[in-house]
Amino acid sequence: MSSPILEGRALVKSYDDGRVAALRGVDITIEAGEYVTISGPSGSGKSTLLHMLGGLDVPNSGEVLFRGSLLGKAVDLDTYRSCQVGFIFQAFHLLPTLRAVENVQVAMLAKGGRANHRLERASALLEEMGLKDRMKHFPNELSAGERQRVAIARALANEPAILLADEPTGNLDSVNTANIMEILRGIREHRGMTLVIVTHENEIALNAPRHIRIRDGRIDA
Amino acid sequence: MASQLSFTGFAWKNLRRRRLRTLLTLCGITMGIGAFVALVGFSRSFEHEWLRLYQSAGTDIAVLQSSLFNSSLDESLGAKIKALPEVAAVAPLVFNLIDLTPDVNALVYGWPADSYELDSLKFTSGRPFRAGRPDVVLGDLLAQNLNKKTGDTITILGETFTITGIFHGGTALETGAVIMPLDQMQNISSREGKVTAFHVRLRPTPAGESYDDYIKRAQDEIDALEPGIRAEAAAERAGNNQIVDMAHAIAWGTSSIALFIGIVGIANTMAMSVFERTREIGILRALGWKGRHVILLILTEAAGLGFAGGLLGIVVGWGALRILSVMPQTASVVSTSVSPVHLFESLLIAIGSGLVAGAYPAWRGARLSPVEALRYE
Repeated sequence: MSSPILEGRALVKSYDDGRVAALRGVDITIEAGEYVTISGPSGSGKSTLLHMLGGLDVPNSGEVLFRGSLLGKAVDLDTYRSCQVGFIFQAFHLLPTLRAVENVQVAMLAKGGRANHRLERASALLEEMGLKDRMKHFPNELSAGERQRVAIARALANEPAILLADEPTGNLDSVNTANIMEILRGIREHRGMTLVIVTHENEIALNAPRHIRIRDGRIDA
Repeated sequence: MASQLSFTGFAWKNLRRRRLRTLLTLCGITMGIGAFVALVGFSRSFEHEWLRLYQSAGTDIAVLQSSLFNSSLDESLGAKIKALPEVAAVAPLVFNLIDLTPDVNALVYGWPADSYELDSLKFTSGRPFRAGRPDVVLGDLLAQNLNKKTGDTITILGETFTITGIFHGGTALETGAVIMPLDQMQNISSREGKVTAFHVRLRPTPAGESYDDYIKRAQDEIDALEPGIRAEAAAERAGNNQIVDMAHAIAWGTSSIALFIGIVGIANTMAMSVFERTREIGILRALGWKGRHVILLILTEAAGLGFAGGLLGIVVGWGALRILSVMPQTASVVSTSVSPVHLFESLLIAIGSGLVAGAYPAWRGARLSPVEALRYE
C-alpha cells in the first residue's frame, strides 16, 4: 500500500469570530496517486477543506501533513503551493491582462529559471490541452472550456504532486464538463498525480474510485 | 520570442492596463522631477556661473563685509589690500539687481575704468566706458533682449546712460549684465565712497607653497586689515554667497513640494491598483508566489513609474531651463548647463520616489491572505 501524501487531523475552521463553523474536526487521509472526490451541499465545508489541504488557508486547530511533514511548520506554505500543489478553480482565475501562454508562465515566474524554458514548457502544456492555436489569446477571447484548460495547464506548470480542483466544471456545459473530466483523469493516469476534486455534481463525485461526503463541517462517509 | 513573460514584462502589462491613470500619475511625477531638474539645476548652474565669473576674470579672493546683500565697505580699504605683498590687483565693485524695464531686470555692476576684470570682456562693438562719464557697456544677450546697440541710450534708476560698447560675456551673469563706471554706480545707488566688495587677484603662487596654502595665507592677511571684513576664496565664495544660498533653498523647497505631490500620486495609484487586483494577488499567492514576490512586483511597477516620470521630468525640466535662459526676465541669471550628475541624481530621486510611494501598497499586497483575496469580489 502506498504512503499517505496528505493527512488532515482534527481540522477545525470557523469564520466571523467563531459564529460560522466551516469544519468541525475533520480527519482525512489521501494516498499518493489517489483520485478522490469530495461533495456536499453548499456551505458544508468542502471548499474550506480543500483550501486547508492546499495550504491556502490554515485551520484554527488541527494539522495538515504533507508526506508526514507539518504544513506551515516543517513545510513552508508558499513553497508547498508553488512546488507540490496545482490549483484549479471554478471561476478559472486567469489573469485578464495576460495571454493564455503567459497565464501558464506566471505560475513559474516566482520559481525563477530561464524565461525561454518557461515559455517552452507553457507552450507544450497548452499544446497538450489542445490549445495550440489559442496560446496568444487573452482569457476574454477564449470559451469557458478553453479557459479551464488554460487553468489546468497552469496548475501543471510546476509539475506538482497533487492537483486540487474546486468545482472545476461548475461553470461549464455538459460537453465541456466531460472534456475537462477526461483531461483530469488522463493527467492522473499518465502523470501519477494525486487528484482531489470538490464537486456538487453526483455523476462526477460517484465516478471516482473514492468519494467523500461532507455535511455541516463533518465527513459523512 | 513572442509572449515570453518576464517579471518586468508582467509589471509593464499591469501598468498599461489602466493607461489613463498611469498617464496621469506619470504627469505628477514628471512635474515633480521637472521642477527638481529646472530649479535645482538653475540654482547649481547659478553657483557655477559665479565661479566662472571669478575664474574668467582671474579673481582669487572676494573681500566683503558680513554678507553679499548688505555688504558695504569703504573704498579706501582697496589701497590697504593692494599694499599686501601677495596682491597683484584689486578691483572694487558695486552691484545690484535692477529693473531696466517693467519686464527686464539685470545685474548692474559698477567697476573702475581701469579694473583688471574689464580685460576678460570681449567687445563685439564699441569700446569700454570712461570714468566719470555716464557710460555703460551691455552684455550681448541683454543688448539683444533690449534691442540696444552701441551709441543708444539706456535709463537706469532714472539716469540716462550712453551705451559705449557691447561685450560678449563668458557667463550668464555677464552676458545679461550692465557694467558702468564705479563712480556712476555709487552715485545712482547713493553709495558714494562705498563698495559692495573687492575682487583680488594674487601674484603667482610662490615656489614650494600650494595654491590653497597661499590663498589661506592671503585671506588671513586681508582679514587682519580691518575688523568685520571677510576674505573668501573665489571657489568658496561662489558656493557660499547669499544669492546662491537663497536660490538653493528656494529650488529645494519648491521641488520638494512638487516631488511630494508626485510621490502621493504614485502611492495613490499603487494603492488603488493593489485594491483592484486583490483577487489577482490571491491567484498569484495560490500559485505559490511568496509575499516578497508580490512586493517585488508592486515595487517594480512603482519604480517603473518613477523611472519613466524621471526621464520625462528631465526633458521637461531641461526644456524649462532652456526657455528661462532665453526669456528677457531671467536670461541674465539662467544658464542651460546642467551637469550629467544632476540628471543622474534626478533619475535616482524619481526611482526612489517610486519605491517609497509603492512601499506601503506593496506591503499590504504581500499581507493579503490567499484565500481571502480569492474570495474578494
